[in-house]
Amino acid sequence: MSDRPQHDGRRRLTPVAAVVAAAATALTGAAVLAVGLRGPDDGPPAAPERTAVVAAPDPSAAPPSPAAPAAPDPGPAPPVAAGAPAADLGPVLPASDPVALSIPSIGVASDVLEPLALDAAGVLPAPTDYALPGWYTGGPRPGQFGPAVVAGHVDGPDGPAVFYRLGELAVGANVEVTRADGTVATFVVDAVERYAKAEFPTSRVYGNTTDRAELRLITCGGAFDRTTGHYVDNIVAYAHLV
Amino acid sequence: MRTTTRRLALAGVGAALLLPAGIGSALAADGDTNANLAPVALNGVPASGTAMASVRGTTLTVTMAANGLLADAPHAAHIHFGAEARNECPAASDDASGDGTLNTSEGVPAYGGIVVSLTKTGDTSPASGLAVDRYDTAPGGAIAYQRGSIEVAPEVAQAIVDGKSVVVIHGVDHDGNGTYSGSTPSDLDPSLPTEATDPALCGVLAAAPSGSVAAGAGGTAVGAGAQDGLMLLGGGLLAAGVGAAGLVARRARASA
Repeated sequence: MSDRPQHDGRRRLTPVAAVVAAAATALTGAAVLAVGLRGPDDGPPAAPERTAVVAAPDPSAAPPSPAAPAAPDPGPAPPVAAGAPAADLGPVLPASDPVALSIPSIGVASDVLEPLALDAAGVLPAPTDYALPGWYTGGPRPGQFGPAVVAGHVDGPDGPAVFYRLGELAVGANVEVTRADGTVATFVVDAVERYAKAEFPTSRVYGNTTDRAELRLITCGGAFDRTTGHYVDNIVAYAHLV
Repeated sequence: MRTTTRRLALAGVGAALLLPAGIGSALAADGDTNANLAPVALNGVPASGTAMASVRGTTLTVTMAANGLLADAPHAAHIHFGAEARNECPAASDDASGDGTLNTSEGVPAYGGIVVSLTKTGDTSPASGLAVDRYDTAPGGAIAYQRGSIEVAPEVAQAIVDGKSVVVIHGVDHDGNGTYSGSTPSDLDPSLPTEATDPALCGVLAAAPSGSVAAGAGGTAVGAGAQDGLMLLGGGLLAAGVGAAGLVARRARASA
């Protein structure tokens, strides 16, 4: 009898050979995984090559209005003389909820907007419906003084979503928001910019940097990070009420 | 000796002067806030507006636009905050007197006392709360107000950044006769009618959203299907390899 039981004559790997085989399998797996992770991820819907997107790592390099250059984020508040007389804040509409959004130049026409409230971490969530834009209820209504915020998905799991073409939006294009009171607030696009989410210019997007009624349209862009399941950039369109 | 004492005293004064500034920069944070100004409960003004406060250290810039207010009449406007207050706009249930309207005092449990007077000129401290001649008079019922370089205490700056302060614009023409009138005196200044000081519009200065928005699921990212397949294959092989290595190790231990 052998000192070691043999099982039906199956050929056994020596321990060294088994370790080598296991390591080889693992290495192959890691290599294939790396290919999967790297991926050709630089061709998402609203990438820079879609022309109109202006990459602006320095926010002050592309102010939305020549008349009111934006402060860098989180820069000092705009200089305002103490005791200034009545401010010129441009056209301003009364409060009224947005009920429809139309951006003819990029084929956006939605008769419904989802209300969006901040989550517990103070972050603005995207709409639950990929086909609908959402509006931030904690900000000004579109048409009121300050930056009103409308966010929409660039894509869903199965294809393009409502703001798929936001990166194509051109400076000077019209954005129309119909409101519950029947008025239509018409905005003109000043800039379309793309930021790494880690460098999102919070104050420039959500703060008052322009002293007038404005609109921000926000979606995702850049590369898609499969480990987080999110795009790495945000695309933000800036527009003002006319 | 005398000189030394004086120098020490001066140094002490200097330190005392510097200390509050040091504490201020340590406590106060930068932030942008927005208030949606809505009609105060029970007082029913047909008005609305927004106010934005940018906080940089202990310096504020406040910008606000409102319309639908009583035209050509002074509208006192303040930022309110109270550590003991609810930090919100008053509700109908705050009508302690039961007279069917809310005066400024009845709103205090909700929004606290005045911490900044949004005057057009001069002092902006709570002492100017009723400096009626220095507030916007809403030509055509509209206010377009901006004022920067407003210095506040560190705890006030922090309360604003934290979304705990409330903007209130006062002045309500309850009887609709086009002017502040009526026999009910103001709870704040008996020489004024209550219409002149009752709260008209109110909104909490809430912190702006922080950071980016997750607005894509990757369904149109290039090569999604093929990439997902490779991910699964790679992950599977990796797991198999690691699993086999573990088995070898166990067997090695068992036979040792």
